[in-house]
Amino acid sequence: MMLVRSRIVWQRFVARGFATGGAKVKSPQLADVLIVGGGPAGLTLAAAIKASPALKHFKTVLVDGGDIKDKVGSFYDSPPENYTNRVVSLTPPSLDFIKSKVGINLMEDRMMVYDGVYVTDGCSNGTIDMEKDGISHMVEILNVQSSALKRLTDLQLGEDSFKLIDKTKVASIKYSDPNDATSWPIVTLEDGQAFKTRLLVGADGFNSPVRAFSGIQSRGWFYNEFGIVATMKLEYPPYKVRGWQRFLPTGPIAHLPLPDDNATLVWTHNDETTKLLVSLTPEAFTAMVNAAFVLDNADMQYYYNKLKEKSITDKDLIEDIDSRIQQVFDNLENESDIDECYPTRIASIIGESRARFPMKMFHADTYCAERIALLGDAAHTTHPLAGQGLNMGEGDTEALVNALEKATYRGLDIGSLLALQPFWADRYSTNTILLGIADKCHKLYGTDFAPMVGLRTIGANFINNFSPIKDLITNTLGTSAREPIAKK
Amino acid sequence: MMSRNIVRGTSGSIGSGKFVVKAQTTGVNLRLVKSISTGADKDEVKHFKELAPTWWDIKGSQRILHLMNLNRVDFIRKIMAQSIKISDPDVYVPGFDYKKFLPSIVSRNVENQIEHEINSELLSKQMHILDIGCGGGILTESMARLPYFKQVTGIDLTPEVLEIAKEHVKQDPAIAHKIKYELKPLEEVKQNYEVITCFEMLEHVDKPSEILDHAWKLLKPNGVLFLSTINRDMISWLTTIVLGEYILKVVPIGTHHVEKYINSSEIIEWFKENYNGHFEIMDTLGCMYVPTKGWVEHDRVNVGNYMMAIRKLK
Repeated sequence: MMLVRSRIVWQRFVARGFATGGAKVKSPQLADVLIVGGGPAGLTLAAAIKASPALKHFKTVLVDGGDIKDKVGSFYDSPPENYTNRVVSLTPPSLDFIKSKVGINLMEDRMMVYDGVYVTDGCSNGTIDMEKDGISHMVEILNVQSSALKRLTDLQLGEDSFKLIDKTKVASIKYSDPNDATSWPIVTLEDGQAFKTRLLVGADGFNSPVRAFSGIQSRGWFYNEFGIVATMKLEYPPYKVRGWQRFLPTGPIAHLPLPDDNATLVWTHNDETTKLLVSLTPEAFTAMVNAAFVLDNADMQYYYNKLKEKSITDKDLIEDIDSRIQQVFDNLENESDIDECYPTRIASIIGESRARFPMKMFHADTYCAERIALLGDAAHTTHPLAGQGLNMGEGDTEALVNALEKATYRGLDIGSLLALQPFWADRYSTNTILLGIADKCHKLYGTDFAPMVGLRTIGANFINNFSPIKDLITNTLGTSAREPIAKK
Repeated sequence: MMSRNIVRGTSGSIGSGKFVVKAQTTGVNLRLVKSISTGADKDEVKHFKELAPTWWDIKGSQRILHLMNLNRVDFIRKIMAQSIKISDPDVYVPGFDYKKFLPSIVSRNVENQIEHEINSELLSKQMHILDIGCGGGILTESMARLPYFKQVTGIDLTPEVLEIAKEHVKQDPAIAHKIKYELKPLEEVKQNYEVITCFEMLEHVDKPSEILDHAWKLLKPNGVLFLSTINRDMISWLTTIVLGEYILKVVPIGTHHVEKYINSSEIIEWFKENYNGHFEIMDTLGCMYVPTKGWVEHDRVNVGNYMMAIRKLK
């Protein structure tokens, strides 16, 4: 037994020796907050800690496996001409936190404020027109990340105050005293550096290593669906700046505005069809997107089959779609309904901006344990149809910062569960509501079963004409289920 | 047990059971002070010894104490801030509820500036703190984390609990050097302090008036004595013992003895009798435990638990 064990230890030692190029194993450095993950939540948290008078003295380290300093950093100084494909919706409370509390100056010219969402049913004429001035902003994730990074750079912090370690993965996490879960965790990086930290924050996404270490369970399901994102060029800048969402029985498709003649797409479909759509030529894909906002599901199925069999050329497909869309438009009573009920036609999609990702809904049982806090996707993942993913992450970040500030004022150890519990208490129910809205909408519209379609159409049209409920929904989504700023 | 009910103070006295017992002759009392420890009796020491292992488990036996500590620190911070008059004319101190009327970004800046000014004023005072009956160090550690307290000394009479405190503080390099724990009775403390705290301990000792008297003498002029205990009435008995210990079981059984509770008015009486004109009651705050909400503050200081801040006038 001893022999086997010592051999394992020896192998590990050798393995590590190779991995670190024979670097000596250093004794761990001390940190107050170690954030794993340089996504929007992680970077905002780092900037918020360093911008907070109560928290700025805490030595903070942020670790990410990706390229943050160069790739994210350069986005702010020399942004690309075209919009990137990872675009999210940022509601006013999230924006208020980022701007006024953390002091981040987002790249405003790359953001688009919009005035509501026009939701339609792909199986009927059910419509909800959620109109609200400045309901939300469409922002590129890279914009949020790079602006937060810029804020940190502008603070001109020394190495002993804030350290950003990128292109480096976490190799292992363990408690400094294996028998004591309140002892400071030791995080070892793949380059051999180790940190002993008062508080370990997992902002490390769906497959969060920090959550795995904490033993916190995350429960949920995959929707057996994939989302396709893309950046689109419109034929002309829209006259009405709003989001469009059409619930097809195969999954929702959303068209959301970006500045000028740009817009972003999120289209949900099953595994097979998304693979097909991603493989299409840009021209054929463009036509299919235009079709999906106007034509019936039966038409769409016809095109999918034709494309699968490869029995239709791009030219024929585009012509056929155009003529059918024209037919629908010709049947409208009023020509102005074209602009009122359908998004501006897209002219093209931008180069390599198409990407595909799995849809899922997961929620962690809790967001904190002794010395551990989970943020954003590490704590919950949602279907993007309600545009709440990033807002939930920013809401978590704000709640965590508030909890840490309050704990500091009260002389608590910010890594103790007592300090962290208010953060969880603040966010769990809000996130449950938002996750629930997205999931229930998805289920409600995930069928073309006629009685269900009938009921939901009556429901949608009722809501559309009954303002108290419509306002409630609009406000819930527009504030990410938080108090409107005016009340704060 | 009867002896516990009649307390002889050095001059006046606060007691339990029989409330105010007049002073005995001074000579007797001086002897009493010297011969009898001001600390807790053997039963109390034994009781806290049993609690030692779970002292820092916030889900364990001391959860309610951990929660109460939040309010204690709030109270201490409030009182400390009250003692500062902002003299810098560049700091804007609004004379209205600015958080309600100013935009969040402005009120945040105003608040930060005031906070910073108060903290640096307090920091310049280099305050030393004595925490009487520090137990496992819950309050001691919190006070050491306040940026303006220079050094905190915790004393207690239960060795096991004090060991826990000493072990626990080693976890945190940020405050380990600011804290000193000593196993000794109050009368052996010789140093003088700017702040002395005596939270949730007067109801655990035989002679609270002696504790008060010693603490008061160790306090520097202008220093503040913080104390908290429980009013001796039916409601306290119902909430702290019947409800807290036996029904909700949020407090370990045997923690409290209603006859040892002290009314807030008796504290004030005692000070009037002994140090009239030399003390100022800065604030008294009632607090009550509400399950799921934690400790809720209220102004009915004659009912249930209360905290008090008393300043020593020059």
